[in-house]
Amino acid sequence: MKIIVAIKQVPERDARIRIDSGNKWIDLEDVEFSMNESDAYALEEALQLKEAHGGEVIVVSAGPERAGKTIREALAKGADRAIHLQSSDETELAAYDALGVARLLAASIQDEKADLVLTGLQSDDLGLGQTGVILAELLGLPHASLILKIEVAGNGLKVLRELEDGWFQHIELATPAVLTIQSGNTKLRYATLMGIKKAKTKEVRVIAVADLVASDPSLKPTAPSVVLDQVKLPHKQRSTQLLGGSPAEAAAALVEKLQFEVRVI
Amino acid sequence: MSSVLVFLEIKNREISRISWEAMAAGHQLAASLGVPVDLAVVANRDNPLLQTIHGKVPRTVYAIDDPLLHDYTADGYTTACAQLIEHAKPTYVVFPHTYQVRDFAPRLATRFQQTLISDVTGIEAGPAFTRQLLQGKLNASYHHSGSEVCFLSIQAGAFRADAAEAGSTAVEPFLPKLDATQIRTKPGEPFRASAQTVDLTSAPILVSVGRGIKEEANLPLVQELATALSAELAASRPICDAGWLPMERQVGSSGQTVAPKLYLAIGISGAIQHLVGMKGSQCVVAINKDENAPIFEVADYGIVGDLFEVVPALTTAVRKVKS
Amino acid sequence: MYVSTFLSLPSYGAFLVSPIVPADPGTFSIIEKVLLAVLIMLSVVLFWLRFGVVLDKILKSRRDPSFRLTHLGKRAWDFFSEVICQSKVIRQRPLPGLAHAFVFWAFLAFALVTTNHVATGFGLDLLGSRNRSGWVSIAFSDVYFGLAGLFAVACAISIAGLFVRRFFARPTWLARPDHELSYESGVIAGLIFALMATYLASLYVGSGPWAHGLWWAHTLCLLVFLPLVPHTKHLHLVLSPFTIFFSRGSFSAIPPLEGDEDFGLVAGKDLTQLVTLQAYSCVECGRCTEHCPANNTGKILNPKEVVLGLRSYLNDLGPASEEPLLGKYNSQEAVFECTTCGACEFQCPVGIEHLPIIVGLRRGATNTGAWEDDYGGKLFNALERNSNALGMSALERDKFVQKQELPIFDGSQEYCLWLGCMGGYDPRGREIISSFVEVMRHLGATFGVLRKEKCTGDPARRLGNDLVFQQLAEANLEALQQQKVKKIVSICPHCVRTIQEDWKEFGLPPEVEHHSEFLARHRAELPQSNSNEKVVFHDPCYLGRYRNVYDEPRSIASLAGSLVEAERSRERSFCCGAGGGLAFLGEEQGERVSHNRAQQLVATGATTIGAACPFCNTMFRDALAASGDNSPRLLDIAQIAANQIKAAQPAQVAASEN
Ligand SMILES: Cc1cc2nc3c(=O)[nH]c(=O)nc-3n(C[C@H](O)[C@H](O)[C@H](O)COP(=O)(O)OP(=O)(O)OC[C@H]3O[C@@H](n4cnc5c(N)ncnc54)[C@H](O)[C@@H]3O)c2cc1C
Ligand code: SF4
Ligand code: SF4
Repeated sequence: MKIIVAIKQVPERDARIRIDSGNKWIDLEDVEFSMNESDAYALEEALQLKEAHGGEVIVVSAGPERAGKTIREALAKGADRAIHLQSSDETELAAYDALGVARLLAASIQDEKADLVLTGLQSDDLGLGQTGVILAELLGLPHASLILKIEVAGNGLKVLRELEDGWFQHIELATPAVLTIQSGNTKLRYATLMGIKKAKTKEVRVIAVADLVASDPSLKPTAPSVVLDQVKLPHKQRSTQLLGGSPAEAAAALVEKLQFEVRVI
Repeated sequence: MSSVLVFLEIKNREISRISWEAMAAGHQLAASLGVPVDLAVVANRDNPLLQTIHGKVPRTVYAIDDPLLHDYTADGYTTACAQLIEHAKPTYVVFPHTYQVRDFAPRLATRFQQTLISDVTGIEAGPAFTRQLLQGKLNASYHHSGSEVCFLSIQAGAFRADAAEAGSTAVEPFLPKLDATQIRTKPGEPFRASAQTVDLTSAPILVSVGRGIKEEANLPLVQELATALSAELAASRPICDAGWLPMERQVGSSGQTVAPKLYLAIGISGAIQHLVGMKGSQCVVAINKDENAPIFEVADYGIVGDLFEVVPALTTAVRKVKS
Repeated sequence: MYVSTFLSLPSYGAFLVSPIVPADPGTFSIIEKVLLAVLIMLSVVLFWLRFGVVLDKILKSRRDPSFRLTHLGKRAWDFFSEVICQSKVIRQRPLPGLAHAFVFWAFLAFALVTTNHVATGFGLDLLGSRNRSGWVSIAFSDVYFGLAGLFAVACAISIAGLFVRRFFARPTWLARPDHELSYESGVIAGLIFALMATYLASLYVGSGPWAHGLWWAHTLCLLVFLPLVPHTKHLHLVLSPFTIFFSRGSFSAIPPLEGDEDFGLVAGKDLTQLVTLQAYSCVECGRCTEHCPANNTGKILNPKEVVLGLRSYLNDLGPASEEPLLGKYNSQEAVFECTTCGACEFQCPVGIEHLPIIVGLRRGATNTGAWEDDYGGKLFNALERNSNALGMSALERDKFVQKQELPIFDGSQEYCLWLGCMGGYDPRGREIISSFVEVMRHLGATFGVLRKEKCTGDPARRLGNDLVFQQLAEANLEALQQQKVKKIVSICPHCVRTIQEDWKEFGLPPEVEHHSEFLARHRAELPQSNSNEKVVFHDPCYLGRYRNVYDEPRSIASLAGSLVEAERSRERSFCCGAGGGLAFLGEEQGERVSHNRAQQLVATGATTIGAACPFCNTMFRDALAASGDNSPRLLDIAQIAANQIKAAQPAQVAASEN
């Protein structure tokens, strides 16, 4: 099975957040990056499928040069080769909305004719949660999202999908297909020294975004339909709210919070 | 003619609460633009649930109906909704941000060469749409450019459902042209994880108990609270060490790592080995008689008090709200 | 004259009057001489048949690229103290140790005696025991043979004692995995005893058939003994002096990986000459196992068996094999149960370095991904993603730094205070930091913390993940260099060790010390309590055995009252169970090490337990809480010092008001 995994390099989850001078994104100085969490699970699923059924795992990532580190990490964990859709700087890709980026990705993997395309459920930074599903539409493939487990069944796949509130569902679909993977269902392997050393010899095809666009003008970001205007820090900081009063009062106050703020009742 | 089209979602044989919130968002948006609101539900025109639609009165309620839509599939819903949009020609399409919407709405938007603005938490003049980035550490505002249709999904809890208004709306059946070959996935029956296997990691609410409970005989106290909240019972290590609860229920560095929506820590001091197992919880509530217990450092809400008084009071309060 | 000595015991006084020499065995026939020559050859050949193989395996092993024959002075001293004086053997088990030392010294003494003895068979008289004339015979006949006799007596008694111990007292650590007694040890003991007995007897009999017979008896014992040496654990007789001389030179020295194909000890081809030499030197004394906290609490790890496992591997497959080392000969599970406390390496009398072996085996498993462990994977991913072992968000550390108003290091302060994972994230570790900060402020020391600090990589290092370790070490070294940090002080012995020794592979770390060393320097400025509190101090492995710091923390712990010692303390301290990354690896098999150690500490009757490591602290806190309400107080030495300062303050205020 030939599997493509789309991975994204995102700011470390606990990165210190300062807004940059353009008010459009955070100041990236001092920020460390890592592989988007659900993408790491997608990669893990792909590697497990390869181990069980053979085949090839190819990772694709769109991002500036720094994303190369995350690509190498994926290679070190066992991916066979990589496609790096490289932007010339931090801002080039910002001119694209989710659809625009997905178009670039689709163009860069189209020729691979993979049996399966996996993406993470959503990115930890922009949180749009759409790239995989859009890719499916662009590539003309069926998809399933929020997938926890993939089994090969006959000519196709049987996948476990998470529904809300502790419900699940199996979905059968034929390959080629696109799946977006939910975090947390398997244990992630760790990168090893041996993996890193082997990764050095693996192929990373670098495609400059500009070159790709030049070859197909329809990919140009002339007018993204969704435009980010500005970012702001939220007012509320997380802190402990102590609920006082008699046990009954405190309990009532807590239930109200659970009902209207945490919204779990 | 322009309009705002709001999709409502039926779940567990009712129109879900978040659908009302999306509807409120749709009305707010429509009011600012001075355009009418239409609603759409995948249902038969005679479905009694359509009669439960309340809040501000919409212009039309479309009942999208086709046998191929009885079980949700992304392909079926995408095609059906696309046809309705072509038919109704709204300027804005508003969804509740549910798992189902996440599954097909991006696909639908792509059919119109658009990007869904997902998980919107606020709508401001412009219209500008607010959503969160970096897991809530940043708010961003977006606008939609061009004159094409714009797709939005509304985050749960971001809008308050409108109070009911009098008035009635005609239900207009919409029968999309669907073909079984368009549907490429075969969905199975939804099921719940079996009750036998304890899986703390997928439980949305955990009631976790620590050494503060003192004796095994006191466990029913927290069990009752867990039942009232439809929560799973979890514990700190001493409780499992003592054999009062099985090992699978231990949260912490040598037990499970959990990240529920709500984690209620009862009589747990908050040792580091425990914290690392539950630090990813979205909301932490601590009940402890020691106000200096480290668990309060990571709690969103805390009650300093005797658990033997607080927990029964809490159980009563939860039951009252739920009934 | 001979008759008179025959009647009296060879006391020192007797030398003066009557020279003591072995009885003249008389002349040897040609047949006897030929027989002797043949037997000697046979014995040497049998010796070589085995020894040659062992030597070959050692020499054919990979060279140890990082080994340097430096510090000759220290090597000579270690050789003198550990080999010649048998210091380790005696120190760790005084009685059997002394017995062993007597056997060893007797062997040394017999080197000349034996040469002379064999020469006699060919009619040579090397030491002039027959034709006593000149200074040679004065020196030897009149003194040396008698002295050797004294050694022989001591040796015979000792070997008999050791025999009784092994075969009748039967301490558990001498046991083999199959619980069988080692009969070869019995045979060897018998031979040694016979060697001594025949020699002693020859001092008493006059020349004649008796002497002749004794001569042959002694010779035959010798010729049987020689080939047995390489075939049994008595190979250590030959190898251990080399093992001790060629040690890596520092405790738990983990060698750097060399080149692109070195991932640690994966297969036989990775075993270096030092490791192979050590594997063949083990004398199976079981000292390592006796002190191993894992083995003592029901884990399958047995450090002696780790070494013997390597030996079996080498015997069967040799040093060029590609067969994995972990599997049939050594268990992966066992290797990952080690807390890296170092008790084994510290105890081993023949200089075997267990930690480079155990960590080496872990490296082989981890660096190649062969070690699959849910908790281990989680730990490594946490270290990669969050740069701390607890997987907490770095923002949590920032919050703590802000809340405590800890100054940020900017080059103007003397010390960089290293928080470490426990100090930065663990609520209890933070309390230790807060107390230490109070004391530093009280003492007027200037310090700052790094804005961003990553785990030193200790758990990754000990669990054999060189990738993560290198990333962390390099990032930290760079941050420290940028800030021009000259001196680090840390509350965590693991941090101290890793910074000072393990980072060296990647750069030059700043000077670093443990807070006990800092506090001890200022001992005089800290108020002493005159309460009658009994304080027991627990030596952290990484402070004691790894760093040789024993007195400094005690001097601070004693501020709170009078010290008592646990049964196992200082060099022999028993681990808390947290080291080697084990604090992060989920539940232990068998009894918890921490509970075992906590009981040992409670058994001293102390009212306060002094700790000097945040990991020990967390382990004992948990163990003490489980053991009941009236357990002793657990305090870090920094907390003890801070408490003393606080207690003294009202008095000072009162004094100044008067
Ligand atoms: C290597 C290692 C691994 C570990 N792994 C885990 C793990 O996976 N999970 C885990 O949980 N622990 C683990 N521990 C143990 C951990 O260190 C703590 O000992 C443990 O979490 C403490 O549990 P607790 O909070 O329930 O008990 P305690 O620390 O004893 O806390 C009890 C709390 O209850 C409060 N309380 C008492 N009575 C009342 C009352 N009437 N009303 C309200 N509050 C009351 C007290 O104020 C106190 O804060 C591990 C320890 C080690 C060393
Ligand atoms: S280092 Fe400690 S735990 Fe490991 S084998 Fe040696 S004695 Fe046992
Ligand atoms: S390794 Fe050392 S301490 Fe352990 S049994 Fe062998 S010789 Fe004795």
